This record gives sequence, structure tokens and C-alpha cells, in this order.
Amino acid sequence: MAFGDHEGDKSRWIVSQCCENVAEMCDSPLNNLCCGAGGGAWAMPYTEERLAYGKHKADQITKTGAELVIAPCHNCRDQIMKGLAKEFDMGNYKETMYIWELVSESLVYEPWSEEEIKKAHAERDAQFERDGVELEELE
Amino acid sequence: MQEPITIDRSNRRLGTSPELADVCFACGTCASGCPATGLVPGWDPRKAIRAIALGLEQEVIDSKFPWVCTLCARCEYVCPMGVQLVKTLRGCRILRERDEVPGPIHKGTIMNFERGNNLGIPRDDLLFLLADLGPEMEEDEKQPCPGFYVPVDKEGANIIVTMNSKEPFAEPDDMKFWWRIFYAAKEDWTVSSTNWEGVNWGLFSGDDENWKIQVGRVLENARRLKVKTILYPE
Ligand code: SF4
Ligand code: SF4
Repeated sequence: MAFGDHEGDKSRWIVSQCCENVAEMCDSPLNNLCCGAGGGAWAMPYTEERLAYGKHKADQITKTGAELVIAPCHNCRDQIMKGLAKEFDMGNYKETMYIWELVSESLVYEPWSEEEIKKAHAERDAQFERDGVELEELE
Repeated sequence: MQEPITIDRSNRRLGTSPELADVCFACGTCASGCPATGLVPGWDPRKAIRAIALGLEQEVIDSKFPWVCTLCARCEYVCPMGVQLVKTLRGCRILRERDEVPGPIHKGTIMNFERGNNLGIPRDDLLFLLADLGPEMEEDEKQPCPGFYVPVDKEGANIIVTMNSKEPFAEPDDMKFWWRIFYAAKEDWTVSSTNWEGVNWGLFSGDDENWKIQVGRVLENARRLKVKTILYPE
């Protein structure tokens, strides 16, 4: 994935399968901006610069009017949730989720059958024995 | 008055091939679209490229700019001359002395090299944590996953998944999102008990050797366990 390759359209499709009323970050993906924590900046000691960079993103988020922001990576999520949300007033904003968190929370699925559970537990026990892992709560 | 600059292009380490700096015609398109312009006094991407083209590369290497730049590539996308700004700016990071790399990313890279993950989490601690989270998934109130466990070092699985060390270290519940997807899809997946780190700080710190070593280890895990697909949730 790189700037301008429109690979983000795949993420947009995934999000649209999980939510109604999806708002675009801005008019065109080419006007979309890095959150400010990319390239290792989240771990860098330049907090002031990171937040000043992120102000562009905070303004974009405010303009969408959205409550929930979907982030495609760990750094973006931390920057928006722990950086920008604390530093700036982002209007209706309430929370940030990883895209895989959104998918996970949207899942409707059947629990496994008794047979599948038994098989999984047997595999698990064999693995624990191989690795010398002992869990008291089990049995 | 400022001292005149003596241009020395003969001993350059950066921007020596045309697509890196020399073809820049100083239009400033890169700087006008760069969100980092103005954040480090005196610097923007055009000035960085011009400085390199003029043989002042050490000034760029010593400046904060290549580290405040997020390597987002917006500048490169718009450059009419095809200057490889991202490669060049990351090149400045490569040329920083290792003990002058800002923040923990160099330390993390070395920790990863020595102990297999950026935070030095021991194998046994990880195995115990993963085992512990299994029953939590099984008994989850909202979305229970009876039969769930984390398959470790499972030979022949369909997918091998890397982990971000901050999660086992500080936010273990965040690993459950992916796990629930695997559960619902009945995916045949696994994680490696060693060298499982997915965050490659060598990329960010400008450490090509360790960048490559880490990628090699992820590949090696997949080969050892005969898994065909690697999933990097980064
Ligand atoms: S956009 Fe390209 S040609 Fe224009 S100043 Fe920047 S690097 Fe030079
Ligand atoms: S890659 Fe760096 S210099 Fe280029 S636009 Fe992004 S932040 Fe600016």
C-alpha cells in the first residue's frame, strides 16, 4: 500500500460491510493525509511536531462529523485515540477502532460444535504438554 | 553576512543517482503538499533535496527533519521530476550515527535482534499469556468462542501471524479481535513461539541490516512450520 495507489478502496469496502452511514475522510483519497505518527513518529520523542502534524488529521476528522474513526494500523490508532483525541476537540468524535476490531465486533457466527470443541481441546492439551505450559484453571 | 557555501558534490553519499536528488528543479511542489512543512524551522522536503543536491547532505542528516517526516510519500507522488524523496529522506536516517537515532527505535531494533522481539518478552511469558487468554475467549460474555485456543508452532497451518509486542506487553485483549475472526472463519492458523515480532523498527530507524534480518526470521518461521501464507497485522 502506498500513497496514491488507491489500495485503501479495499478497506473502504470492508468498512461499508460493517457499518451503515460511512463518511469519507475527505473529498478525495489524494487529499487524505497521514495521521502524523507514521514512519516511526509514534515512537519518536518529537511529540510537539507529531501533534502539529496530526492537527491536519484532527481537522479532517472533525469535518466528517463522525463518532467512530477506523484506523488501518497500530500507529494510526494510537495517534488518533491517545494523541489527537486528547489534544484537540474533534467535534462528534467518540472512539477509534482498528479495522480488524470493527470486523471482529461485527461478526455474527455460530459457536463450534461439541465435536469441534473436543478436537480443539485435545490439540490444545497436546500443545501445552509439548511446551510445558500448565494452566490451573483447566480441569 | 553569511559565509558563502562551497559546494562539494564529489564526496556525496546521498542522492548520487539522478532519481534521488540531482534532477530536482526546485519547483517546491513537494514542500507545498507536505504536512511536515514548517514543523522544523528551516526545513521542508524541497530544502532537504536541494541541500543534498548542493552537497550539504550532512546538514540534512543532522537535522530533525528526516525524523519528523513520516515517510508518507505525498511529496514523491506529486514530484514532476520523479525524485525519490522517501528513499532519500530515509537515506538520511540510515546515515545517522546509531547512538544518535532519536527515541527507543534503535534500542528496540537491537533488542529484537538479540531476543526476538522489540520489548524482549521471554518465550515462556508469552506462552503462558497466550494460554491464559484462551479460556477468556471461550467464556467471553458478548461473543463466546468455545473451543478457542492459540495454536503455537503448529506445523502445516494455513496462515502464520506475527504479533506487535506492545499487545502481549500492554494490551493483550487487543489480540482477541483477530483471534475471533479466525475462530468464526474456522481458519487453520498459528503463531511462532520465537521471533514473532511484526513491528520492524529497522525500517524506521534506518537499519537495513536488521530490517532484513527480521524479515528473514519471519520467513524462516513460515518455512520451518511449512505455512504458506504470512499475515502481518501491522
Ligand atoms: S517536487 Fe520534485 S522537482 Fe519539485 S522541488 Fe520537490 S523534489 Fe524538486
Ligand atoms: S514523505 Fe515526508 S517530506 Fe514527503 S510529504 Fe510526507 S512527511 Fe513530507
